[in-house]
Amino acid sequence: MSANSQEVQDSAGRETGDVMLELSEVSKRFGGLAAVQDVNLVIRKGEIISVIGPNGAGKTTVFNLITGIYHPTTGDIRLQGRSLVGLSPDRVLVHGIARTFQNIRLFNNMTVMENVLVGLHTQLKASVLGSLFRVPGVVHEEKAARERAIELLGFFGPALVERQEEYAINLSYAERRRVEIARALAAKPKLLLLDEPTAGMNEAETLEAVKYIRRLRDELGLTILLIEHKLTVTMGISDRIAVLDYGRKIAEGLPEAIRRDERVIAAYLGKPSTKEQPADATPEPE
Amino acid sequence: MTLLLQELVVGLSTGAIYALIALGYTMVYGIIELINFAHGDVFMIGSLISIAIFGVFGINAASQPQGLALVGLMLVACLGSMLFCALLGVVIERIAYRPLRNAPRLAPLITAIGVSLILEDIGKLWKGVSNVSFPQIFPSTTYYIGDVSISSVNILVFVVAVVLMIALQLFVSRTRTGRAMRAVAQDREAAALMGVNVDRIISITFFIGSGLAGAAGFIYGLQYGSTIFSIGLYLGLIAFTAAVLGGIGNLVGAMLGGILIGLIEAFATLIPSSILPHGGAPWHDAIIFAVLILILVFRPSGLLGQQTPEKV
Amino acid sequence: MSMQISSRILRLPGDTRQLLVKWGVALLVPIVMFTFAWSGETIVNQVILGLLSPASSNYDTPSLIQAAIFILVLYATVLALSGYLVAADSGRRKTLSLWLDILVFVIVPLFLVITNGLILGMAFAAIIWVLFFVVRNRVFHAKPSAAPTSVESLMLSDVEQKSLLMSRAIAAGFWFATVFAVISLVVDLIFFFTGQLPPVLLIWVVVRTLLLPVAGYFLGRLGGLIALRRVISNQQNGNSEEVGGVDKEKQLQVLSTTRLAEEARDIVPNDLPLRSRGAQRFYLILLAAFVLFYPVLDPFLFGSGTAGRLSGYGDAGYYVILALGLNIVVGFAGLLDLGYVAFFAIGSYVWGIFGSNQFNILTGIAINPQVLSALFWPMVIVTAMIAALFGVLLGAPTLRLRGDYLAIVTLGFGEIVPIVFLELDKYTNGANGIVGVRSPAFPGVEWSTFTPVPFYYLILVLIALVIFANIRLRDSRLGRAWVAIREDEIAAASSGVNLVQTKLFAFASGAFFAGVAGAYHAAKLGGVSPDLFSFGDSVIYLAMVVIGGIGSIPGVIVGALVVYSINEFILAQLDTLAVDPSSIIHPIYNAIVQVVPGFTFGNIRNLVFGIVLVTVMIFRPEGLIPSARRRRELHHTAADGAEMGSLDPPSGSSDMEAEMHVE
Repeated sequence: MSANSQEVQDSAGRETGDVMLELSEVSKRFGGLAAVQDVNLVIRKGEIISVIGPNGAGKTTVFNLITGIYHPTTGDIRLQGRSLVGLSPDRVLVHGIARTFQNIRLFNNMTVMENVLVGLHTQLKASVLGSLFRVPGVVHEEKAARERAIELLGFFGPALVERQEEYAINLSYAERRRVEIARALAAKPKLLLLDEPTAGMNEAETLEAVKYIRRLRDELGLTILLIEHKLTVTMGISDRIAVLDYGRKIAEGLPEAIRRDERVIAAYLGKPSTKEQPADATPEPE
Repeated sequence: MTLLLQELVVGLSTGAIYALIALGYTMVYGIIELINFAHGDVFMIGSLISIAIFGVFGINAASQPQGLALVGLMLVACLGSMLFCALLGVVIERIAYRPLRNAPRLAPLITAIGVSLILEDIGKLWKGVSNVSFPQIFPSTTYYIGDVSISSVNILVFVVAVVLMIALQLFVSRTRTGRAMRAVAQDREAAALMGVNVDRIISITFFIGSGLAGAAGFIYGLQYGSTIFSIGLYLGLIAFTAAVLGGIGNLVGAMLGGILIGLIEAFATLIPSSILPHGGAPWHDAIIFAVLILILVFRPSGLLGQQTPEKV
Repeated sequence: MSMQISSRILRLPGDTRQLLVKWGVALLVPIVMFTFAWSGETIVNQVILGLLSPASSNYDTPSLIQAAIFILVLYATVLALSGYLVAADSGRRKTLSLWLDILVFVIVPLFLVITNGLILGMAFAAIIWVLFFVVRNRVFHAKPSAAPTSVESLMLSDVEQKSLLMSRAIAAGFWFATVFAVISLVVDLIFFFTGQLPPVLLIWVVVRTLLLPVAGYFLGRLGGLIALRRVISNQQNGNSEEVGGVDKEKQLQVLSTTRLAEEARDIVPNDLPLRSRGAQRFYLILLAAFVLFYPVLDPFLFGSGTAGRLSGYGDAGYYVILALGLNIVVGFAGLLDLGYVAFFAIGSYVWGIFGSNQFNILTGIAINPQVLSALFWPMVIVTAMIAALFGVLLGAPTLRLRGDYLAIVTLGFGEIVPIVFLELDKYTNGANGIVGVRSPAFPGVEWSTFTPVPFYYLILVLIALVIFANIRLRDSRLGRAWVAIREDEIAAASSGVNLVQTKLFAFASGAFFAGVAGAYHAAKLGGVSPDLFSFGDSVIYLAMVVIGGIGSIPGVIVGALVVYSINEFILAQLDTLAVDPSSIIHPIYNAIVQVVPGFTFGNIRNLVFGIVLVTVMIFRPEGLIPSARRRRELHHTAADGAEMGSLDPPSGSSDMEAEMHVE
């Protein structure tokens, strides 16, 4: 709905660029139930956008629609102008959208390294015959893949690299979250969808997560779409926030505006909100 | 035309038998999402048990009981077979399936195959490898509608099956236990939270389903005059196709599916050899399996099942 | 130099001596049994006599040379193994417990095989093993369990410790060989003085007695070297090993207990060196030598009837290939295929039609039979490709189906295909089947359905190739994709795995190998007919995979052999024994027949399978020789050592439902 290259200023006054993802009048019905109705959303390159809303509002359904797990009943979803409707999840990934899941979906009985290697699936070219005969090209590719996986794990520091041979099921929750992100990063996405990335984390872990989410945008140039329940996170990290309720988008805008928006408060609480302190954009060292 | 109608009669009575067996499959699948491979063999055991019960009363293939004795004998054999099979089903569930309630899907499926193999060999050891003759004590008179012949046995089979199916339908829809069964089939945890004893309900489901298979075994023997240890697997697969055709988990669907499969099988024999080498008859297994595959691919919810939203 | 040698051999510290006794006895008893109670001595003597005077020997020179190679490999491997085991042992496990293990797992089976033949002997041994396991587990539950492995206990070794290990290995090899030499000398002298040993062999006895200790020294050293390769050195010199960008010691420290236990199996020193991966290399060498030279050894080991046995093993072989092929579909990719027999049938018929007169009947092209035989080799590939194509065709309808529905559809195909072959008799000759199918041709080899030896070697080659392919596939990008879709289809798709392609590849690969087995089968049998293929066969193939160990390559091989033995051999043998008044089976059989007339062992085949399947699924669903991954999947308990937050979802609860409900 907004023009393609209009300059928009985010909460820090930065200028962001071209449209990365555009949802136009997207609806999804399951039988009689409308999970998502007429949602419009524009995400620009380099933004961090949060989608918030009460339970059952349709946020994860929107993610599933974007990544091709569901197909929209009506409406269009375009990534850099190219329609994604009808594509299967692996095709959507190839086009440049990766995601994590609310209930972390790692391959539990594979090691950390193997999980990330699966994430590299689309980046590897090995054919069946090539694998059978261990053609030098394939050997080289596998070696490079492992090195790349170590790089990806290393984004979070040395801890995961050390534990690369551990089974995913044996990791702590926060570690599993990071492995899932590393796996998603493996496919070199342009847009990363994070579904409640700080769920189940305590304060310290949440701060860590906010830091690395920001680094994902700053260092890796990713555009990030976030579902979050913790308002402290969304307030502190988002360039813009979109609010869903009962499948519809009821508000969108800068964090401060959303915090004070009557409709949002009513949707969540039914009464005026108490003051909430947003997490600092640059947290003080402790 | 006569041929068509004749096959219709055949189809209806075999279909009724298939429907009875299909009910057991669909009930079990509806409640614990397991394809009970051994169900067909329970049916086979039922037919053997009926022969054994007859044997206890000294009835063999040549006997000709009359009147009250006839009715009494049939009741005893049928009910006895049903009871034995019902208990057999409960025992199987207890020993082989319950320990694997939480195991990955593969496990109970393979166990079911194992149980099926065991039952087959028990049948083989008990009554031998070849056809066992079933006392055809029901006086068989043939009625004619035009050129189409209908045997009294056909009618009996059909009636018995329909009576049992109606009884089942009433039980499931009108009684408390029936309601509990439907609840467990829909959402096991919620039912448990509502105070339903899930284990007991599952046992009851197996009891009823296997009991119906026992009845099916009895009337099968009456209709065909013989049975054999290997019949279970084969008929079981056909009945399972029927259950899927009607919509797995749906009782009316199983009944409908059974009749339909019976009709398909009957009409298949009419296919001329210009279309299929040797004509339709020797292909009827393949045709039924083809039907199964087509349903599962194009409409897995069956005729009466609900179209669940696309879940990858 | 000699000082060094003698110090390594003669001045032994106490614990080294303990180890030597422990392992010396453990290895000597079986070797002595093999050599003197069985045919080891006989083979050696025959080889030497035969080589010295070929004219008077019963055996031709090539056979003798093969036998000689086997003997060399056998004894050399055992000597090196002795060095490895002593070096690798951490010494923590009690001697008696080891001797008990050796007794149950080596000596008793050896005895049973000597007295009952290979298959029956192993069958009895298997029963004893099961009983032993059950009893041992009961005992273990009564005693407190041992503490889990910790990193410290892996004893990262420095230079001094490495030297100690090496000297132990050398001492082990030397003393083991020396003791064995002495025993052999004594026995041979007794034979000589009782007139059973030809004098000409005395020279050999002397040579052997002198050579063995020397060989022992060097082979022990070799074993030690192999053990040392698995030692974790600590980083005193900054020389720590780097694995994946991080040093090994650090890695081990951060691993969880279960994962550490897995790694510990491979590291030296070890609590259970018999089961370590290093020792497994030795076992593989022994097994390979045994299998490779078996046709030559069989007359020595088991007497007459070699040809029949070899033919049976040739048949067992295609079961192995079928199990490996099905393992790809069911084990790797997790797709339950109940109709695998369809592809086997297709493979059999393709070669059956092409490699016989049927081809001429159908196409009018007459090919010289000799040429047909030579064409077997390219046709195996073609057959397999055709089967793979059908794998794709028959797999395609199942792609959207859930596990049990997929099984039923495949079952349906498994039923339809044999019916098609039966009824399309214009092409397939219907119920009469096709006869006169050609065997392959190989220069210099006489090959027909009556010569089991070339078929035996052919199936060995095929099995080796199939194992090779399986391992490569499993460890490739595709193999990872298969595990991923088995674990979590949605996560796999979201990570870029194309579900359709990956599943179809699984079906195609599985069908490919079934096609290979089919071509072999038709060639060996010399014919093909529809009654050879039925649903029951698909069940048997599934049983092989399940009983052996789903997803585990060695597991399904063992499973195939076990199932084949039961199916084709053991029950028939039991029937033969049942009417033999001198065997113990006889009274058992008579007792059973009183209660169940019409009972034969052959009749209860399905009963046995059924009971085995149910028992395995309830008590050991991961199979006889499980893959590590599956055992974890099937017995997963709460993760040890992981911090679980209160908001952590319980493991295993990842459904689309969850995606939908919690928003």
